[in-house]
Amino acid sequence: MGPRFALWWALFTASVKMFVRNRLALFFSLFLPLLVMLIFGVLNFEGSTSVDLGIVDEANSDGSAAFRSALAETDYLDITEGQRADELAELEKGDRDFVLVIPADFAPTLEGETGLVAFASTADPSQAQVGRGLLQQAVGGAIAAATGLPIPSGGFSAPLAFEAVTSRDLGYIDFLVPGVVGMTVMQLGLFGVAFGFVQLKRTGALRRLFATPTSPAYFLSAQVASRVVLGYVQVAILIGIGIWFGLQMFGSWLVLAAIVGLGFMIFLAVGYGIAGWAKNEDQAAPVANIISLPMLFLSGVFFPRDAMPEVLRGITGFMPLTYVNEALRGVMNDGAGFTDLGPQLLGMVVWAVIAFTVAVLLFKWE
Amino acid sequence: MSVPNTAPAGARPTTGGPIIVVRDLRKRYGSLTAVDGVSFEVAEGEVFGILGPNGAGKTTTLEMIEGMRPIDGGSATIDGVDVRSDPREVKRRIGIQLQASAFFDELTLLELLDLFGRLYGHAVDAHALLGDVELSDKARSQVRTLSGGQKQRFSIASALVNDPRVLFLDEPTTGLDPQARRHLWSLVRTIRDRGHTVVLTTHYMEEAEELCDRVAIMDGGRIIALDTPDALVEQLLGRGFTKAWVERLANLEDVFIDLTGHQLREGE
Repeated sequence: MGPRFALWWALFTASVKMFVRNRLALFFSLFLPLLVMLIFGVLNFEGSTSVDLGIVDEANSDGSAAFRSALAETDYLDITEGQRADELAELEKGDRDFVLVIPADFAPTLEGETGLVAFASTADPSQAQVGRGLLQQAVGGAIAAATGLPIPSGGFSAPLAFEAVTSRDLGYIDFLVPGVVGMTVMQLGLFGVAFGFVQLKRTGALRRLFATPTSPAYFLSAQVASRVVLGYVQVAILIGIGIWFGLQMFGSWLVLAAIVGLGFMIFLAVGYGIAGWAKNEDQAAPVANIISLPMLFLSGVFFPRDAMPEVLRGITGFMPLTYVNEALRGVMNDGAGFTDLGPQLLGMVVWAVIAFTVAVLLFKWE
Repeated sequence: MSVPNTAPAGARPTTGGPIIVVRDLRKRYGSLTAVDGVSFEVAEGEVFGILGPNGAGKTTTLEMIEGMRPIDGGSATIDGVDVRSDPREVKRRIGIQLQASAFFDELTLLELLDLFGRLYGHAVDAHALLGDVELSDKARSQVRTLSGGQKQRFSIASALVNDPRVLFLDEPTTGLDPQARRHLWSLVRTIRDRGHTVVLTTHYMEEAEELCDRVAIMDGGRIIALDTPDALVEQLLGRGFTKAWVERLANLEDVFIDLTGHQLREGE
């Protein structure tokens, strides 16, 4: 460990200490995103005790109608009926657990084949076994009810053919967490840096550093590094809580870490640009808010951007946080790799270069 | 000027020559000439005062000598090192107490002194430094909890972490009550007695009389007088100056100190 590194390390640990001891900064950059996620997570907590079943009735007979109405009495089934193609599409999207197809020649019977086929979602393997059992039991009961015969002693399990359909089970939490991660990356870069640094400028604490022979670049790089490390810690905490809420991760953690890192580069550069330009907090605050607020609401943090008017969606598609959020959702929800995320990564790199250039041009130490 | 510029900070050559040499120093801000050809020398071990009304160019002069502000014209040499060509080496040899001294709020006094020591590449006995400025009981406090006088003393401690050849103090007692001011004066004398050269600016004439071996009086960016306080007073009297009233043997500040004592008031 050379003396230069020892000096840098001292500045780095001091910077971490300062951040951790600053309750206001801690609240806004660590606790607030957590709170937001907990609130949204609880509000949209999907009770997963019921089985989502799609029914495709290709028989349309008295027998199939009796079977369906008996099935509808099962309280743990959440039933929708529709056409085969539609229901299977829903299944692939992750909105159904099973799609039960009643064949054209269906007749309820306790003996022999019924020809029933259940297409099963592969989305949630841990629950699949339970789901199959529940469905089998429900179908058995419904067939027995439809035949009007008593259920044989020892129970009745309908012969039911299962067919796995590759599908994804995405809940709101899977949408929310990447958004909150993106928001956190932005907030930490903008607010975690802009205010603290401007304060050091205004009070003269930064000038006190210039009175020493150490180059201010050491301080700056140590502070950037401390923010990035703390940022990763926070993202890990958010994702950890997300997983507790049922978040799924389909992609590579390495790709995720790279996207988060690129996001930090963009927003740290913006943060230091503001802090380097502003003379005091009163100048920094409105600029930081003007930059962050539109992205908070229009970059798809909490709600999908699909609902936006076409024009607005087109424009806001170019915002840096939109690229970050799309890339995060790509890797987490779809398992996308670097090559799949080409457009988003390109957008992020372009923004990082723009932000860095502007920051260097605007930056003033005093 | 026989001081070798490689002398270790701890060694104190007793040449008695000037440790600071300032020649024709200039600074312009647009059309305003803030410092207009300032020249002076400071002897080693001296307490040198720069006096003047606000805007006279005191702080700008100080900051140029310290390497904190670019020099537009002229030269400054500290301990044989030219400030313009090697400001970093100059900063290594001096201690600076800024007019508005702020520190990182979230760190304790001990942590700050440790950190500042590292910025000079020194291992620092932070406890001893705090003891020197009578802040041992505040070692684990943060700067924002200190009183005005305590802040200034801490600021001086932070300027001593590198055992500097020259200590620069910019208006060290501004805003302090009479007790805290006197306390700081005794601290400055102690520092001088340990062999540090001290350069300070002040608005208080009695402070300059108490502390300074020599003073330079600045106005409009120039030095208009430079001598010992006694000699300057003698020169004035020699020009036939008489006060409108006869100076009594005590003034109101003496009354104040007599009534309220020398005890520091720095509430916990």
